[in-house]
Parts: sequence; C-alpha cells; structure tokens
Amino acid sequence: MRRAILAITGLAASTSALVVLKGSPGVGQVAQDLPAGQASVAPAAGEPGTAGTVRPAPRPTASGRAPAARPTTAAPRTPGARSTTGKSPAAPRATTSAPKPALRTVRGPDVKYEFGTLHVQITLSGSQIVNVTGIGLPQSGQSGQRSDDVQRTYSGTSGEVVQKQSADLNTVTDATATSNAYQQSLQAAIDRAG
Amino acid sequence: MGTAISLDLADDLPAAALRDLAEETFGWLREVDARFSTYSDDSEVCRLDRGELRLADASADLRAVLERCADLWAATDGYFDAYATGRLDPSGYVKGWSAQVASDRLVAAGAANHCLNAGGDVVVRGLSPTREAWRIGVAHPWNPMATCLVLAGSDLAIATSGVQHRGQHVRDPRRGEPARGLRSVTVVGADLGVADAYATAAVAMGEAGIGWLDRLTDHRHAVVTDDARLLHSTDLPLSD
Repeated sequence: MRRAILAITGLAASTSALVVLKGSPGVGQVAQDLPAGQASVAPAAGEPGTAGTVRPAPRPTASGRAPAARPTTAAPRTPGARSTTGKSPAAPRATTSAPKPALRTVRGPDVKYEFGTLHVQITLSGSQIVNVTGIGLPQSGQSGQRSDDVQRTYSGTSGEVVQKQSADLNTVTDATATSNAYQQSLQAAIDRAG
Repeated sequence: MGTAISLDLADDLPAAALRDLAEETFGWLREVDARFSTYSDDSEVCRLDRGELRLADASADLRAVLERCADLWAATDGYFDAYATGRLDPSGYVKGWSAQVASDRLVAAGAANHCLNAGGDVVVRGLSPTREAWRIGVAHPWNPMATCLVLAGSDLAIATSGVQHRGQHVRDPRRGEPARGLRSVTVVGADLGVADAYATAAVAMGEAGIGWLDRLTDHRHAVVTDDARLLHSTDLPLSD
C-alpha cells in the first residue's frame, strides 16, 4: 500500500516538473509547431454518442470557448506545490518538417446533431489557422438563427477560432447542440491538420 | 447515456501516455454506458429493474450507485428520485459519478491537470494548458452561443440542469409533472455526481429550490429563473 502511494506521489511530482517546464518559452514554441503531438480519439463505431479529443500540445494563446469570456488577466493559481526537481526538458523534437507556408484546407468530419449535420472547414497557412467556416448549418427558422449566431461567433478570418488558434480551452457547462457539434468537427479538423 | 464527452489533458506527458490515458478514460465511460444504460435491454440496470438480477448479485459499482441515489433522495427531500420516471433510472447520478471516477483515476495515473466535460457537466483538475485556472462558461439558457457567467477554478465539479431549448423537462417527482420556476441551475462542488443530482433536484423544486441551494454549506450555485433573473452564491468562484 505504501509503495503504491509512493508511486503515485512520484508520478505527481514528475508531472508538476513537466508543467513548469512546459511554460519555458523555447519548449512552448517547439510544441506549438509540432501538431504531431496531438492525438485524437475518434468515436467508436456503434457508439455515436461517445466522442473525445485530447490535445496534449500546449496552446500558448489564451483562449475561451465561451464567446462572452475573454481571458485578460491571469487567473488565480492553485497553491499546490510545483517542484522543479531533477527533470531536464524533453529533447527538442522539432528538427523534422518545418511547417510550409502554403495555404491548405482541412475538412472536419460531419457531425450529426439535433438540427441536422454540419462540418467545419479550416484553412491553414503552415500551422496557423487563417479561416474557418461551418458548412451545413440550418438556414431557416429558429435553428437558422442559431446557426447564424454560431457562424458569427466562431467563423471567418477574424472570428474567435482564428483569433485563438484553438477550438477551445475553457469548457461550457450546459453547452447546447449546435456549438457542441461545431466544436467537435473543428477539433477533428485541427487534429487532421496536424 | 448517449452523450458527448470531451477530455482535455493539460499535462505534458508523452503523446503515447496521453493516448493511453484517454483510451482508458473513454473505455471506462463506454463500459459504464453499457452497464447502466436504460436504453439497452441487457444492461445491468435494466436486468435489475426487470427482476432478472438480484440486488445481491449486482456489481459493486451498481450497488454503490443505488446506495448513493438513496442518500441523495434523502438529502434532497425526495426531489432527486432515481424512480421519477416510474422505473429505475439512475442516469441522473451515473453520468456525473462516472465522470468523477474517470477524473479521479486520471489524477491517480499522473494526469493531475485536466478537464472532463460529460455532456455539459464538467470536472476540472489542476491547471489549464496555459497554467492558469480553468475557465468554465455557464451556458445562457436562451442563447446557445452566449454564456451568462464564467467560473474559474482548479478543482471543481460543475453541473447544470434545467430546461433545454429542445424542451426537455425535469420532472417534479412529487407532482409527477414538469418542474416550473427555474430555467437553469448550476451547482459547483467537489463531486460531480452529487453536484449534478443537487442541480436536478433544485430544478424539480422550482423557486423553492433557491432557498434549498442557499442552505447547502458545501456547494455553490447559480440559478436562472423562468423570468430571466440570475441569482448566485456570493462566494461563487467567478472568473476575473
């Protein structure tokens, strides 16, 4: 039992060290240019409701999924100890394949939701997202209004996605169907682009 | 549960390790879905409900869940009711509980910084990828693209219940009809299963739920009423 606790403590300690290291500028930049570090878990066949994504690459830009929320100041940190013991930064892995500046377009998968099916298309210059659009959103009635809201907030060359270079960082409690579907397709597109 | 679940792992672990952690997490959540779903006839919950499975033979997880549902029924004056639909349906607790278990396992496995969003119910641990507190938007009940509040914190379980724009109602188990008065209730605590159950119970209580939430000493809340008033605990962990 004691050994198990020690093992967990060990893991926690090394994790904290890495968190600190992640913040150092060099490492952060390398990681940003390395979308290969991104992994995604695709929804398993037959389980349409379950989907998830993992984005281990640190995203240096502050971002928020919540349109009303613009992170401006540093939020309070946890008082938890973050030791900087022993670990040296992971060796830079960025020597291969520098990002090419050519524009390319990546299409996110179709995501079914309660008002239909949509997908998101992103345009990248190198690893920078320069344009985003949602395709297939309903255009009429109340749900059409909702689609316009989503498009206005997220899409376009100056929308939130382009500004923040990320699908989300914050999360939304009680998020509703359209934005969920949009973010799901977008995240998959970003993962594909990597 | 049939719900979209997203996981954000903020620890700088090797990609393979992160993938393994994510796979374990989603494996667990799929397992819970198979065992506790009220939609698949051969789930443990359905077999127990039909009397094909004796409680004594049920898995330890299911027995623990039912015990917690009974505790929550008592703690909420009967407003959280796993039998509200006339049959056994513990999903109101299972979703939050399974996400909380998944989060606890991630912490134990060395991923101390993460955010797990199970269909709008959220657990955040440690710090976000920018090494700041996680920021969690509370969706605006009438505008799907807006938030009415933004919370920030490091170890929080945040659950929201209410009337969705698609018209799903929380039933008042006492009157047996859709609850009225509260459009959206967000409860912030340390355990997502409890927070979710409390949020659902408060919606079922209607306006009286606000007073009930106020008396909870270990949980914070934000409420949007049907007439569009926003009330929240004075010590709610608001962002900025």
